[in-house]
Amino acid sequence: MQSLFAASRSSRQLALGQRAFSSSLRRWQAVPAEKPVLMKEFKIYRWNPDEPEKKPQLQSYKIDLNQTGPMVLDALIKIKNEIDPTLTFRRSCREGICGSCAMNIDGQNTLACLCRIDRNGSKNTKIYPLPHMYVVKDLVPDMTLFYKQYKSIQPWLQSDNSPEKEHLQSPEDRRKLDGMYECILCACCSTSCPSYWWNQDEYLGPATLMAAYRWIADSRDTHKAERMERLENEMSLYRCHTIFNCSRTCPKGLNPAAAIAKIKLEMAAE
Amino acid sequence: MSSSLVLRSTLPRALARRAAAASVLQARYASTDAAKYIPGGPVLQGTVNDPTTFPPPSRIHGSYHWAFERLLAAGLVPLTAAAFVTTGSNYPILDGVLGVSLVMHSHIGFDSCLVDYLHPRKFPTLGPVLKWTLRGATVATLVGVYQFNTNDIGLTELIAKTWTA
Repeated sequence: MQSLFAASRSSRQLALGQRAFSSSLRRWQAVPAEKPVLMKEFKIYRWNPDEPEKKPQLQSYKIDLNQTGPMVLDALIKIKNEIDPTLTFRRSCREGICGSCAMNIDGQNTLACLCRIDRNGSKNTKIYPLPHMYVVKDLVPDMTLFYKQYKSIQPWLQSDNSPEKEHLQSPEDRRKLDGMYECILCACCSTSCPSYWWNQDEYLGPATLMAAYRWIADSRDTHKAERMERLENEMSLYRCHTIFNCSRTCPKGLNPAAAIAKIKLEMAAE
Repeated sequence: MSSSLVLRSTLPRALARRAAAASVLQARYASTDAAKYIPGGPVLQGTVNDPTTFPPPSRIHGSYHWAFERLLAAGLVPLTAAAFVTTGSNYPILDGVLGVSLVMHSHIGFDSCLVDYLHPRKFPTLGPVLKWTLRGATVATLVGVYQFNTNDIGLTELIAKTWTA
């Protein structure tokens, strides 16, 4: 009944030809509130491989935060679009699932797309590439060794059982993989680890070790002993000194240090 | 003519391919010599698609070492407490065990520092020199602890005396 009444009223108003939104004068319309300008300085690491004799430097960019999205990646994209198209960085999904935009923001390794901009305009934000990696250009590190190490732990299911259909797994066994399979290999944890800084060529680093434990802990995988045998040396696993930088920095909230501790315990108990 | 040419060109290639396959298999199990460390230079070996290799497996350097280190560290807690409540002269064995455990514990700690920061692959002269210096120092300390505990008052008593001095 009410809706019928409302409908009749609205049709009458239209019929009367009263002022519609489109016909109103501009000055009678509500003016969108002007946002105050909130300038913030971003100091970004720049290094150009085409000018190798020029030392890397921090370049300063000032942007209006009220005309920018909330995340650091939004600021980077705004800078690249509007101020300096030569600024180079990796990005893809802008929602923390691809791991491309891993970088060191205000001293913390994190994903630029998951890191909110500190809205304090009087303080600048410093952005560096992932620490202790070879830099390709600006914020782009060379991830080749990281991926080679990931490959070395053979991150795929190796099972001698050949079930007729799927490899079955109990819900309890499946739950053991939670907190490990979510890793997106952004390398934030590995590049925050001092052991990985000093011994990158031999020590696998937290990301790769957690991936290793993801397959050691998998009840469907039957090559657990071989996987652990490969880590039986001084360098690959045991350069972890439980510094916990990995768990502290993980932008996905995972705990690589716990996974490494579990590998050590299982290898000692075996 | 052409057939012999084909033979001559394919045979070495086939041999080379087999040799390459064999070397890849070996490299997977070979020692770290394959991944030679060049200071300041490229660390990567092989193509970008080759996985990194592992050193030969050794439980002495791996899980046994870790388990021993952790048990030793955990054992030092009750040992220290026991030495605290007893007197060294009455329990020389306990005193000796504490002395040896402490020295071993610190040896493992220092050795870990050397492996982390002064590994022989990065420091071909300084690394081995310091490794053997550490070993020498540890043995000398063990001898000293033995002499001190058999001919003198012993470790626990020394600390007690220093404390009350």
